[in-house]
This record gives sequence, C-alpha cells and structure tokens, in this order.
Amino acid sequence: MSLAAVFVLLYAVILTLSPAVRLHTFLTPLRLTHWIGVVIWLIGFRILVRQVNRQLIDHDPYLLPIAALMTGWGLLTIWRLDEYYGMRQTIWLGISLLAMWGGLRVPGLVNQIRRYKYVWLVGGLALTALTFIFGTYPGGDGPRLWLGCCGVYLQPSEPLKLLLIVYLAAYLADNMPLGFKLIQLLTPTLVLLGVGLSVLIFQRDLGTASLIVLLYMAIIFIATGKRRVLVAAVVLLAGAGTAAFFFFDVIQVRIAAWLNPWLDASGRSYQIVQSLIAMAEGGLFGAGPGLGSPSVVPVAQSDFVFAAIVEEMGLIGAFGLFALLGLLLVRGLRAALLATNSYQRYLAAGTTLFIFMQSMLIIGGNIRLLPLTGVTLPFISYGGSSLLTSCLAMLLLVIVSSRLEEEPATLPRPQAYNILTTIGLFTLTALACLSLWWGYLHADELIYRTDNPRRYITDRYVPRGKLLDRSNQTLSETIGEAGNYSRTTRYPALSTTLGYNDFLYGQGGLEAALDPYLRGVQGNAASLIWTTDLLFNQPPKGLDVRLSIDSKLQKTADNLMNSSQVTGALVMLNADTGEILAIVSHPYFNPETLGQDWEQLKGDPTAPLLNRVTQGLYPLGSAITPFALSVVLDSQPLPGLPDTLSIKVDNQVNNCLLSPGLEPTWSEALQFGCPAADLRILNLLIPSQMSQVINRAGFDNSPVFVLDVAEPILPSIVPSPQDFVNGRQSIQVSPLQVALAAAALTNEGNRPAPRIAMAVNTPHQGWVILPAENSTSAFPVNGSQEAVKLLASGDFPGWQSLAVVPTQHSEATTGEVTWYMAGTLPDWQGIPLVVVVLLEENDPYTAKLIGSTLLMAAQAPK
Amino acid sequence: MTGILVFILRALLAVSLLAFLAWAFITLWRDMQLQIQMLNARRVPPITLILEDEPGSQREFSSPEIIIGRDPSCDLQLTDGTSSSRHARLSFHHSQWWVEDLQSTNGTFLNEERIYTATVIISGDMLRFGQVVIHVAILPQL
Repeated sequence: MSLAAVFVLLYAVILTLSPAVRLHTFLTPLRLTHWIGVVIWLIGFRILVRQVNRQLIDHDPYLLPIAALMTGWGLLTIWRLDEYYGMRQTIWLGISLLAMWGGLRVPGLVNQIRRYKYVWLVGGLALTALTFIFGTYPGGDGPRLWLGCCGVYLQPSEPLKLLLIVYLAAYLADNMPLGFKLIQLLTPTLVLLGVGLSVLIFQRDLGTASLIVLLYMAIIFIATGKRRVLVAAVVLLAGAGTAAFFFFDVIQVRIAAWLNPWLDASGRSYQIVQSLIAMAEGGLFGAGPGLGSPSVVPVAQSDFVFAAIVEEMGLIGAFGLFALLGLLLVRGLRAALLATNSYQRYLAAGTTLFIFMQSMLIIGGNIRLLPLTGVTLPFISYGGSSLLTSCLAMLLLVIVSSRLEEEPATLPRPQAYNILTTIGLFTLTALACLSLWWGYLHADELIYRTDNPRRYITDRYVPRGKLLDRSNQTLSETIGEAGNYSRTTRYPALSTTLGYNDFLYGQGGLEAALDPYLRGVQGNAASLIWTTDLLFNQPPKGLDVRLSIDSKLQKTADNLMNSSQVTGALVMLNADTGEILAIVSHPYFNPETLGQDWEQLKGDPTAPLLNRVTQGLYPLGSAITPFALSVVLDSQPLPGLPDTLSIKVDNQVNNCLLSPGLEPTWSEALQFGCPAADLRILNLLIPSQMSQVINRAGFDNSPVFVLDVAEPILPSIVPSPQDFVNGRQSIQVSPLQVALAAAALTNEGNRPAPRIAMAVNTPHQGWVILPAENSTSAFPVNGSQEAVKLLASGDFPGWQSLAVVPTQHSEATTGEVTWYMAGTLPDWQGIPLVVVVLLEENDPYTAKLIGSTLLMAAQAPK
Repeated sequence: MTGILVFILRALLAVSLLAFLAWAFITLWRDMQLQIQMLNARRVPPITLILEDEPGSQREFSSPEIIIGRDPSCDLQLTDGTSSSRHARLSFHHSQWWVEDLQSTNGTFLNEERIYTATVIISGDMLRFGQVVIHVAILPQL
C-alpha cells in the first residue's frame, strides 16, 4: 500500500517539474495544482485502509492497494491532461471514498443489498430510462446518457451494471438450489436483461450494452458451469454485432475504423490512429509524466486514457497495468471461490469480471484488438459515475473476501472459473503482445506519419536549424523563445523552394526535404539524439544547412521577374557543378501567413504554392533545337539557310520570334527562334537520333534532386520535327531539366546533377559537405562547342536560344509558353553559368530581357 | 540538468510500479511456500488397529484413508461374515481421525454405539464392524 503511495507521489513530483524539463531551465512556473488531488487521494485512502483493516479481518490484502494505485495513477493522468477535469475527478474521488467508507459502516451491507435486489434493479432501470426524458450530454451535443443537475452529471448506465450483478447474484443464489431447468431459471432474468438492453440500445449506449451481455453470460456461466452458455454468448454477440452493423451508423463507423483505420486516418478513424501514434511515441520507457503530448488524442481523459498512459509511461507502464489487472482478476476470483455462500460467490465473481472485462474492452479498443467501445477504464478514466461504481464494486469485493474464518461453500462446478481465468489471462497476453507490436516493433512507421502533430509541438520547444545562402546569409530561421518558437523566412520570394513547416499544413519544399538535418535527428551524434529523446522527449537542436543560392543573383532575378510582372520560372545554375544559384517561381506565397491564406492559395489558378522550376511541366517544343544542333554539328556541316524563315501552320503564318537583320544568318535565325530554321535542323536527324537526343538531354526521366521533380510526360512515339516546331504533340518537361540540358551545352557536353543543399554545420566536425551526384556525358564535346559558338552573338557575352510553344490545357483554353535559355561560352574564364527562363505567355522579348540581363549581371565583376 | 533529475525520478517511478508488483508476487509466492510447508508439516499421525479376536495381529497405517471390509481391495481385510464387503472408512482430515459407515449391513459401532455420520475417534476407542471388534491406538501428533 505504501508502495502505491510512493508511486503516486513520484508521479506528482515529476509532473510538477515537467515544464522545466520541456524548457531546459528551472526558471519557469511549475505545475502545482494537481497536489490537491494527491492530498485527497492520500488522506482518503489512508482513512479507508485503516477502517478496512480494523473492520474486515483477514480480507484480501491485494485488492484495495491495486484499486488505490490505479485510482491515483488515473487521477494524476487526468490532472496532467486537463486541470478542469482533474479537479472534477478529485471531487468525485472524495465522494467515492466517502461512499466506500460509509458502506463499511453499514453492518452486513452485502446481505442487506441482497434483500432488496428487485428494488435496486428496477431503480437502476428507471434511472436509465429517465435519460430519455431528462438526458443531457455534458459536453454539448452528443448521446444523451447523463442525468444532470447543477453542474453534477450522473451516467445511470454505470451503476446499472453493478446493480445487475447484485440482482443476478441474489437471484441465482436464491433459485439455483430449487432445481429448475435452465430455461425456467433464466426466463425472469432474460426479461429484465432485455428491458435493460433495449433501454441502452435506444440510447445508443452500445458499449455498455455489449458489456452487460458479456457480464450476464459470464455470471450465468459461473453459476451453471455449462459451456453452452459460453458458446451462446459468442454466437449472440457475433449476431448482435452483425445486426448492429446494418442498423447503427455508429457501429458501422467503428467496425470500419477497426478493420482498416489507415484508410480514413483523418476522418472516421482519427481517434484510433492518433491513439496508436501516441503509444508508438511512448516506446519502451515512455516520454515521462507531463513530457509527452497525449492530449492530441481526442477524449484522452476518458476513452483513450490508456493511450495517454502508454505515451508517458511507455511499455513498462502498460505491462505494469496489465499485471495489476491480472492480479486483480486472480485475487478477485480467489475471493469468489473462498466465499461462504453462493450469493457472495456470484457477487465477487461478477464484480471482478465487471472490472476486468470493462478494462479489456476499452484497452482492446485503444490498441485495435477489438472495435472501439465507448466504455471507461475502471478506476483510471475520467468520469464520476464510473469511478463511484468501480469503487463500490471494489468495496463489495473486499467485504466478500474477508469472510475467510468459515469454510468456503461447496463448489459443484469449478471448471467455469478455470475457463474464465484462462480466457482473461489469455486476453491480457494478447494485449501485451499487441502493445509491444505498436509501441515498439512498429513504432517508427507510426511516429513518422504526417498526421503525427508531435513534431510541430517539439518545434515550439527546440530551435530548428537555419537555411543559409552560399555566403552564410540567413534565408529561413527560427525566432522566439523556448516554448514559443516560430519559423520565419527572411526571403519570402524563395518560399516555393524553401518551403514551409506548419502545424496544420505539414511541410513542403526544402523544409521537408532537409527536415532530418534541420530537426537535428541527422548529422548529430546518435548518442546525443538518443539521450535528448530519453531525457527530454525532444530532438537535439537543429543543424544549419547551407544552400547554393547566391542572394545577390537571386535578388536580381526576382527583381527582373517582378518588374516585368510575369508568371513563370527562372533558374540559374553553375553549369559545371549543377549548383543552383538562383531559382524563381512567380507568383509565390508568404509562408508566415500560410494559415490565413491556405484556402485562397489552394484555389488560386496561378498556383502560388507550386514550385514551377521543379514541379511545373511545360511543352518543350522547338526549345529542343539547340540540343539537336549539338548532335548535328558533331557529324555534318550546316546546309543552306531556308529562303523563308516563317512557316505556315493551319493557314497561320508563324514568323521568327524576334526579327533578325535584313540578311539573316544561321546564327541569328536560331537565336531568334525562326521556325523554318528550327525545322531544317530537326529534319537532319532520323527518329532514332531524335530519341537519343531526348534521352541524352535527360528529358525522359526526372533528375535525382533533394526536392521532388515532376516526372516528365513523353508521348508514346517520338514526335516528328513538324510536331516539335508546331508544338502540337510534345514532350513536357520541367524548367530544371531544360536548365540541366543547357548546362551540358555550356559544359562541353557534360550534364551536371542539380544541387542546392551544399553543407551542414555539425557540432563536432563543423561544416560537412553533403555528397554530390556525378555528372553524365550527354552531348558530343565538339558538337556542343560548335553549337554554342553558333548560338553566340557579337553583342552578348554568351549563347542564347528562344522558343514559343503552344500549350493545350483543354480544348477550350489554349495558351503559349516562352522558353529562353542562355549560357556562358567556353572561353569565359569565370564560373560557367546557364540560365533558363520560362514565361507562361507568349513574350519572347521579356524572356530574353530577363535572361540576358541576369546572365550579364552574373558575369559582371563583383 | 532538469532532464537528468526528472529522468532519475522517472526511473524511480517505474521502479516503484515494479516494486508494487514485485511486492504482490513475492508475498504471493511466500504465501504459497507457507501453504506447502503447512501441508507438508501436517503429517498423518499413524493409526494402529488391533483385532480383538486375534491378539498380536496389529497393523499400523500412515495413509490418510483406510477402507475396512471383506473385499480384497480393502486396506484392512476382514474375514468375518458379519462385516460387509466395504464396511467402513477411517480418514484423517481437520487434524482428526474420523470413522464413517459405508452403509454396511450390520452397522458400525463406536464404543458400542451405532454411528450414522462421520465421527471423530481417539486413541483407546473400540470399533465394531458387525461382529469384528477392533481397538484403536493413535500415536500423538508430532
């Protein structure tokens, strides 16, 4: 008993200190209110135990301490979850202890209640029936199962269970010896059971209804020892379950959520999935009282209190609870076996099975062994009626257990006890195995589910790593004080690339891709991660990640895109290493007002959440020409330039995108996007060469990149040169892919792999360079050099190419996109650069202006 | 710092829960040991039965149950025709030896009084099964 007190006191001390642990400092207000509950518990049980010891000689020494421990555990768990409920539960504990104490003072209580068995049962049924008329639901709308007055609510179906046990025990003890046949014997009880059940079923209190059926069958089984009762119980419950499945929507929901919770994890099976996640978070040792976040599970204080216990006490706590329940079962049934008459025997067995079976039902529901039933966990769950009923049941059990000075009554049918104990212990074992399964073996899958909100809760307590640009200027960082950290982006125009980290909307962009580093669970020493998790239930401080973004170029690019007010994408790469120096996707969003703008952003036709560089897919069309050119020039000289540079498509004349001079050259015609010139180049390739170009340019699959890149769309057959030029049927690729292919032209045919995350700042080794992918040889060296020379112009320090391609969103709406690509020439001494601009409109002039200005700015001496 | 302090407390919390369970199981185990010892200590005091007609033919029993009758399967076989095949049972329980008539034809008598229910016998008692007289001697319990 004193060990139970030690347990409760330790729990209370830890709970007091828990805010300090979360914030890693003692300079914070501690939790103190729950000590009210501790004091009441301590004094109440002290008085009660003294009274029991004095009055009930030789009573079972285990039952009351088990009940006391479970009550204290539950009480503090409820205080931890919600102080309002904690206070109410404390008051109810006081009432329950007072009732137990009062019950002890009534001489011969057990036999007194036997005399009035019908009064009790009818009273209980009447009270339950009253909920039809006066029923309320304390939480607002819901099943009207409570009788309420002046802020106190009573759920009559809770005491009804106990009254039914008393009635059955008394009735069977009175009538069994008369030697009726089973049917005759049971008819009156069946009638009453039917009345009780119909009341409960009409009130939709199906958890209690099924528990009552189980209890009834168990008591009859104990009394008669006939196995067919057990078989009948199984058949009846299965039948009733099937029938209920078709008649009650709530049962359908529960069964569906039980069979496959993953299908609708955010809707109908939200509770059960969150409960499993909570258990997985607990692991072996648990987060520690007050250190987990069990309150994210709905109704954690009553239906899901077991999940809350496992999250904070771990599997050790869960197994401890199972052992307590097993002990309770064995000792309770022992008390029943040693009882002096059959009335007391049935009463003790009934109350034991009542507490045990109700625990199994709800714990089984919490860990997905059984469908969820809305019953409480006796002694532990929040709920005054439930606590009072459990305490009174325990009182009866303790009283019965104390009559050991007389010889036990004869036991004609012992096998029922054996079978029920075996079933009970087997169920406990199954529960233990299943909690091991969810809480340990499959914990990782559950913890890393996106609907586990605990990561965002720890984000408020642990600073996340910064995102820096290539000269270590901050792009995104965590601001605020411990307990109230928030993420802010210093450069909102990069939001589609940097992404977001939001409680409600999850993660996106680099915040998602680099999450393990930013959260500190990768890059830190494994021992550090393990100890901070064990001690604080938090990850270590996040690590900073350096990106390849060049803030200066990025700003120039954003300004160019902003000032021309265009929708589109821009990306500038180091053509040699594939490092992304500037990446623009317009329009963009503000990650700090994501919550307010979410609906609007989602519905926005200009898709501001989309990173156009990686996720946008645009028809390639004649933008393939420069790549084809490198293959052509590798093997043959150029033919003559066509006489007319425009071509006719559907009675419409397609001219050069920008006017070449009066005497156009190949170089001008290709730079300014003259369709006839493109067509002539493409016509020089046979289809197999064309598909080789597509393959070598990397247009047939998305590159390996830290951010997700959209999978390109390829037609089943290689489009003809005409299709490319008309843009009728075309490959759809992302701007990043085009930029990488363009980099290959600048970089003598070698196509680099894209990079944006460069290095991570680890506590022990400083900046550690993140590994890079190798580049691939894409185009012939000579051909690439010849092609960029051809595409270079005298007044511009680089090569360039333009294309406008029609897009067909649907039959009705058609649009056009403009591609502009440019790059440095092989004789450029600085870093080889390449830029790709994509505009979602037909505006070759602006595209060329933006792209060429940026490339010249990048080449300008700093 | 706070983490370590609270971790120690948490460990103590888990230990206290396990200690509670350990207390329960250890006391249960002790209880069982005690029961075994008690049952072990509760030896059956040997009973000696002396047939009056054949002096010197005394037999000592230490089993807790003795069936007396003419049937060869009986522990004490009688030859007299007035005794039934399974006549009576002597058994030790509740720290006493008891005699019980097994619905014999000619009855069982304790000190010349016919018995109908199980009756306690003590050292020096005289039992009669039909016409067979047996004197009882029970060694005092250790």
